[in-house]
Amino acid sequence: MQFLKDIKYTLHVAFHPFDGFWDLKYENKGKLRVALAILLGVTVMMILKRQYSGYVVNFNYPLDLNSINELKYIVFPFLLWCVANWSLTTLMDGEGKFKEIVIATGYAMLPLILLYLPNLLLSNVITLREASFYYLLESVAALWFVWLMFIGTMTVHQYTVMKTIVTMLLTIVVMGVIIFLGLLFFSLIQQIVGFVYTIYQELSLRA
Amino acid sequence: MIIKRSILILAAVMIVAFLSPKSAHASPYEGYVYSYWGDAVKSPIAYLPSRTITGQEMGIGPLTTPTDMFAAPDGNLYILDSGNGRIVVLNSEWKAIRQYQGFDNNGKQDTFNKPEGIFVTGAGHIYVADTENRRVVVLDGSGALIREIGAPKSEVLSDKFEYIPRKVIVDKAGRIYVVARGVFDGIIEFDSEGDFTGFIGTNPVQFDPVDLFWKTVSTKEQREKMIRFVPIEFNNVDVDADGFIFTTTADKQTSIPVKRLNPSGIDVLRMNGDWGPIGDLTRNPSAFIDIDVSGNGVYRTLDSTRGRIFTYNEDGNLLYVVGQVGNQRGTFKNPIAIESFGNRIFALDRDLGMITEFTATKFGSLVNEANGLYSIGKHDDAAKIWEQVLRLDANYEMAYVGIGKSMLRKGEYKQAMTYLKLGSDREYYSKALTKYRREYMRENFGTYMTILIAFIAVVVAMRRGLRSRRGGMKQNAVSQGH
Repeated sequence: MQFLKDIKYTLHVAFHPFDGFWDLKYENKGKLRVALAILLGVTVMMILKRQYSGYVVNFNYPLDLNSINELKYIVFPFLLWCVANWSLTTLMDGEGKFKEIVIATGYAMLPLILLYLPNLLLSNVITLREASFYYLLESVAALWFVWLMFIGTMTVHQYTVMKTIVTMLLTIVVMGVIIFLGLLFFSLIQQIVGFVYTIYQELSLRA
Repeated sequence: MIIKRSILILAAVMIVAFLSPKSAHASPYEGYVYSYWGDAVKSPIAYLPSRTITGQEMGIGPLTTPTDMFAAPDGNLYILDSGNGRIVVLNSEWKAIRQYQGFDNNGKQDTFNKPEGIFVTGAGHIYVADTENRRVVVLDGSGALIREIGAPKSEVLSDKFEYIPRKVIVDKAGRIYVVARGVFDGIIEFDSEGDFTGFIGTNPVQFDPVDLFWKTVSTKEQREKMIRFVPIEFNNVDVDADGFIFTTTADKQTSIPVKRLNPSGIDVLRMNGDWGPIGDLTRNPSAFIDIDVSGNGVYRTLDSTRGRIFTYNEDGNLLYVVGQVGNQRGTFKNPIAIESFGNRIFALDRDLGMITEFTATKFGSLVNEANGLYSIGKHDDAAKIWEQVLRLDANYEMAYVGIGKSMLRKGEYKQAMTYLKLGSDREYYSKALTKYRREYMRENFGTYMTILIAFIAVVVAMRRGLRSRRGGMKQNAVSQGH
């Protein structure tokens, strides 16, 4: 019964985002495990979509398909977004806690499952002429997702509309900065490891 | 003991079997085609080198920097031996039957000076682009001069115009088309009388955005020192049976190295997929220096980068690749011209002064035959041969498409879908799917409708049942309350 209730609430968030995200923050209705379950669901959905979309709209090179890649394209950006958003909003008077950001972002991804699943089935029976319906649904899913992200961020941090938009754009910039720092860090570590190894080699050969 | 000995013998036999050289027919190059995804997929060799001949072997002395070659409809091969200023004619047995060293020009003995292009009409008239003499010479079969066509005269040409004809072709109506060096306006067209009528098929100007940026920010003096953006010039031409002109452009920047010009100079070449006929899909692109049109809309281009001959069908699908730069028989040092006649391809090597003949293998002739039937619309006959092609090469996408289209016509939609998917033809797959969907719905409409109606009936019945029970309970409650 609890499971059904959770589903009912996630759907409520998707269709009544203002109300839903408010309850999520102030009534403690959002659950971390549901958010993570949605994340898992989206990942599985994307794997299925790449593999089983109808041939007419499926332009994936079969030899390039790799389910592990979905971690790179979905789970990693998800975590990066949450971290970047949290880092930014703590400096910009956001009221959201890290957990709330994760939950809100997770719940906002529900439309991707809701629309991609029927779209996946539809794609197997449509022809090239009707392919525009497929792409339409695809864009609707993306827009819905962005809309929910927007409402989610606004509600969780109690921002104004303009501030939300600016924060979201800045979050993307911060994501880039984090990636850059990460690469820098790893490259430095690599250099240090290489340096230490060379010294070790030198010493061991001389001894 | 006997067992031991037999094992030893067996081992010896196996070693000998494994060490023995491979079959003597091993080709000096590999066959491949590009898949839908742009991967080079190995395929059987379509053409194998069958014989080669040099000037010495013809018994006429070596060929010195030969520049062009023409396979006449009667099977004779005309070789333009540019360094020696002569034309050599070989018959189909490769015996030198004629030579044209020069010709009688109004009582004066005249010769060629580094000619680069030759064309022979059905009537046996020989057109030679006599490059360094800046003229086109027309000879009849006996070697007598018919006409001499000099530089075009017109007000549209600037005074500085230099006429250096390189290649010449003649269409069925007798119009003469000349490709000249340093001419960016297109192909020079003369009417059958040799009068200049205009340019056709100008290539668009291509430039590098980076260069354009520097050009916009630099001063006038700097700009004058820079290279100007000019259209790319054509480097070779051929004409097909319908009078359409095929051109090649060797500039490596260009994305459309091959064009098929209709009589008004508009490119009507068919392209299939993401890549047109551009040769190798590698970082270092192919540079086409000759093109040869054979029957059924098939054309072959010669790539000077790697010495390969790419054969395309009229839809722009790569059929097979032959040849390579190398030192073995069947490879080239500096290929300059290709021609084809029947199931044979001739390639002329400028540095070696040698002609190599390639003959179709079983795979090559099957592909040629199937493609021929396919292009004239006999899809069902073609499908039978495509099946044989598939037996030799299960990765040949065109064969799958060919069979798929034939099945689509026969009404085997589901099978057609499988084949068209294997051949990566989305458009026809979609067509097959439309038909299959309709057929499927027609056959199963009754079943699905029955299930749907039954389902609705059950739902309605359940709801009514629920409501009546709830209503009854309410009534009970009401009656109890009273």
